[in-house]
Formats: sequence, C-alpha cells, structure tokens
Amino acid sequence: MTMLQVEALTKKYPAFTLQDVGFSLEAGRIMGLIGRNGAGKSTTLKAMLHLVCPDHGKIHMLGRDFAKEEKACKQELGVVLGGVAFYQTKTLRAITGVTRRFYPNWDEAAYQKYLRFFELDEQKQIRQLSEGMKVKYSLTLALSHGARLFLLDEPTSGLDPVAREELLELFRQLVRDGDRSILFSTHITSDLEQCADDITYIRNGRVVASADRESFIRSFQNLKPSAGPALTLEQIMVNCEKEGGYDSFAL
Amino acid sequence: MIHLLYKEWRLAVHPVVYMFCLMGALTLVPAYPYGMVFFFGCLGLFFTCQFARENADLFYTMMLPIRKRDAVKSKCLLFVSVELIQLMATVPFAVLRRWALPDGNPVGIEANAAFFGFGLVIYTIYNFVYLIVLFRSGYQVGKAFLAAIVPVLAGIVCMEAAVHIPSLAWLDGMRFAEMVRQLPILCGGIVVFVIGNLLTYRTAALCFETTDL
Repeated sequence: MTMLQVEALTKKYPAFTLQDVGFSLEAGRIMGLIGRNGAGKSTTLKAMLHLVCPDHGKIHMLGRDFAKEEKACKQELGVVLGGVAFYQTKTLRAITGVTRRFYPNWDEAAYQKYLRFFELDEQKQIRQLSEGMKVKYSLTLALSHGARLFLLDEPTSGLDPVAREELLELFRQLVRDGDRSILFSTHITSDLEQCADDITYIRNGRVVASADRESFIRSFQNLKPSAGPALTLEQIMVNCEKEGGYDSFAL
Repeated sequence: MIHLLYKEWRLAVHPVVYMFCLMGALTLVPAYPYGMVFFFGCLGLFFTCQFARENADLFYTMMLPIRKRDAVKSKCLLFVSVELIQLMATVPFAVLRRWALPDGNPVGIEANAAFFGFGLVIYTIYNFVYLIVLFRSGYQVGKAFLAAIVPVLAGIVCMEAAVHIPSLAWLDGMRFAEMVRQLPILCGGIVVFVIGNLLTYRTAALCFETTDL
C-alpha cells in the first residue's frame, strides 16, 4: 500500500521556491528526506501538513486526499516537528489528557506501555525532558492513537550518538510489521545509512533524486573522482552541492 | 467543539485570565469608569495569545486531527467563553453595588443593562479585529492587540461619555423603568455578539487557510 504520495508540490517565497516536489512512500519502509540546511526539507513537511499553504500539488496519505480529508488523515498520522516544544511548563499528563480526547481509537494500555518502554515520567514538565525524551514522548502519543504514518522533521538533531542510535533502532522496530511507514528529514546522512530504505534528496527546493537506498547510491557513483570505494551518502551530498557551486568568500 | 474548548482552557490559557474574569469587582469601586472591566478582559485575552504563541500552541493544535480552520474555531471559542464568564461574574457585583453604593457612579455609566449590552458590542469589535489580524500571520499578537484596542477604547469612551449627555441620561439609570428602556440595548448587544462572532470565525478562518506557519 502506498502510505504517502506527494505530487508536484510547489510553494513560492520571495527568496526561495519549492518546485514540483514529488515522491512516494510504501508501507513498511523508512524514507529519509535529505538536503543541506535551507534546501526545503522542513518546508516540504510543513506543506504536507498544511502548516504552509502550497501553491500547487497533491498530497495523498493512507489512500486519502489530504486536502479533502484532513481530519481523517491526521487520525493515523504521527508528527514530530524538530525544535518545537509545546507548553514547556505543562506536565506530560496534562498534555496527554487533552490529546487523547481527539482520538476515538486512543489505546490507553498502549500509552502506558510506551511510557514504561521509553522511561517517561508523566509528572515531569516538558521543559524537564531532554531533546531525545521529547521526541520519544511525541512518538508515544502517536503510537497510542494507532498512527501508521510518521512524519518527523529532524528528529535526531541535537541528540547525542547513543540517543540517536536508540531512536534509529526504534524506527526500524516500528516498521518491522509492515503496517507503518516513516518519513524523516535530516541532514545527518549517517542516520540514513543505518535505517533508511528509500532516499529523497532535495536541493534548492527541487528533488534531485528519489529511490531506494542502493539504487540512489549507485546512481551517483559517476561523481566519484577516481577508482576507489563507493561514495557514501555524505560524499554524494557534498559533491552534488559542490557541483551546484558553493558561495565563495574572500577571506 | 467541546474538546477544542477543553484544550484551550487546560493548556493555552494564561493564569492571569482567571483573575481578569473577576474584574467585574471593579463595579464596587465608588467612582470609576466601569468600561475598564472590558479593557481588562481584552488585556487578559492578549496575554493568553502571547502565552500561547510562546508555547507553540498553534503548532500543537495543528498536529491534532482537526482541519486548519478548527484552530481558529478553538480561539474564537476561548475568547467568547472568557468574555461571557467575565460578564456573568460581573452581574453579582453589579447587583451588590446597588445596595452598597446607592449614590451611583459620578464618573461614567452604571453597571446596568445598557452597560452589559455595550460590553457585548465592545467585545465583538475586539474579537473581530484581533482574531482576523492575528490569524493573518499566526504570530503577530502585539500588532493584533494594537489594532483591536483602539476601537475598543473608542467604544468605552463613547459609552462613558454618552451618559453625560442629558437626553441619554436614561442609559445611566438604575430604576426599573429605565432598565426596561435599556433592554433593547442589551438584546441588541446579544444579537451583535452572536452574529459578530460567527462572522469573526468565518473571516478569520478564511484568512488562516492561506497563512504560512
């Protein structure tokens, strides 16, 4: 089943344009959305969630048109927006108490299970959580209402290597049953090498390539300067950006 | 709708709103412009929106399984509920005032039926301007307050000044016959409040559909 289908997503700003972004994500797979800072990764995710109003494009989530069935899509959607912390002085219990009211299929037993699994204390305030724990709490909420599609905006940014590895392992476990999919944006390519099945690379607001990881890496081997080991995702991204031209600074 | 209202009161309301809901107690002050009760109500709502912005309330709301326009409905419900609670909490103080301070209020309007009618109209004006300006950007709470408080203050000044015009002295009355004469103002205020807030929601929701967060 196609969990997410993005077609010709376009958004114009005065100094930046997201142009004809399109990709799809199948069930049971993890897709990494990569690009340098300012490439348009977060804008793409926000446009998908209607946080930003796209000029053109279609989004289909879980077989539904997001524009027409926004409420139904969001019932099975889990979202983690990096760098956004809600209600810093409220406890997890207070936020959960509000959130659960919006989901008819809220599973309290699952919620308690994930609280224990992630070692989260409901009495703590959001501001008392580390960045990794905030992401885990967002995932707990998503898993407790049966989310099948997860959209994560730079979930591993600001995490230490141990926390990053824990989160990536969690992602692998989540999709193992084949019923869930994850799309996460990142500029940390080593995260994708560990867990992503598919890669979509965005540069200057356009999709450069979108394919499964092996095909993606293979297709960029022509950027290799000479015989040697295959280019990594990081090297592919750096070489692509180099080809596009860095800004030059006179020092 | 009830869940949205619960979410606003449980998570997004600034603690000062609870105190400002009791600002109707100002009607017990002997010589005081009672229109300030409405000003404090508007101020409390501004603080709440500022508090909500700093807590990324709009982002949290948009993550919930609701349409984008329901985020506007959420704030409209909050505004209306705060204002109605404040007005209802003012009624016992207004009744008590009549016995505690029988000499009346020399400064401006009495806390009578006309006062509440004008209050509903003032709040409608505030909601209309504030929420539309706010949801055009999603974050400019200060700009929205400056835009909305000017007509509100103008309305309060007109209300307080009107009772000093001899032909409109009945607006300041506390006798039964004068209160009956003020009833159309109260009823008109209720109608304006209902229709005005529905229009506010529709217009603000239309603006918000094209707002980028």
